[in-house]
Amino acid sequence: MESNPTHPDPDDARATLAMADEARGRLTAGLRLPPGFLVVFAAAVAVQLGTAAYGIAAQTVAGLAVVLAGLAVFLGGSALLLHRFSQVNGVRVDGLVSQIVLAAGASASLVYLGALAAGIWAAFASRWWLVVLAAVVGGVGCALGTRHWWRTYQHEPAAHARGASPRVLALLAVVACVGFAVLLVVG
Amino acid sequence: MVGLDPLIHAPARLQLVTTLSGVSEAEFATLRTALDVSDSVLSKHVSALVDAGYLHSRKGVHGGRRTTWVGLTDDGRRALRDHVAAVRRLIDMVD
Repeated sequence: MESNPTHPDPDDARATLAMADEARGRLTAGLRLPPGFLVVFAAAVAVQLGTAAYGIAAQTVAGLAVVLAGLAVFLGGSALLLHRFSQVNGVRVDGLVSQIVLAAGASASLVYLGALAAGIWAAFASRWWLVVLAAVVGGVGCALGTRHWWRTYQHEPAAHARGASPRVLALLAVVACVGFAVLLVVG
Repeated sequence: MVGLDPLIHAPARLQLVTTLSGVSEAEFATLRTALDVSDSVLSKHVSALVDAGYLHSRKGVHGGRRTTWVGLTDDGRRALRDHVAAVRRLIDMVD
């Protein structure tokens, strides 16, 4: 199809736009979350929430170590999941990175913060079964939030592909570590 | 009012930037398969759009082999949005 940039034929222009949308659809419709992606993600979030609640309530150096170990498990697990996604699909989607690392999205953020608050309260009250329950609920909630985001993304990829840059995410990871340390000290 | 962008008006180039608007970065072979073009054609368009500042590319690894990852820059995203809007205005005028 020939197209003149100065005087394009409207029918050609319409067909060209449709073909471009089809090409994007071919790429994004073929993208898949690797098997076990959401389960591993839910487990990583649950470990992070549980260790954070325990460590903050313990208010000891060992507690800080537990918090940081939980964060390391979460960040390591997330990095592995995102690497696997990229390997399987041959693309990188920053929106997914934000969803995984930042629990971006109103519902996922609320579930995460609610589970963290409930877990910390339960840990201070030494109700350990409640700490575990809050961690599991938080992990499952974040995983469901990611599944919801993924469906939205596949419906409208151009609107949801973007997210925080790797530099911003690294900075936020450092801020999170410092934040947990502060919570531990003043908690 | 922004007009048509000659750099991405050609169908193959418009398909390339539109496809990249759905992801942050795509690996060269994945992009070639989605666009159904040859290595040399894709390489030529990518080079031209990298030179224009619409795309960025970097060397990386995929599946254990060295490859190139390509993504839209902010300028490229803006150019695509303006171009598509201009094309739609043109279509609406005729309709």
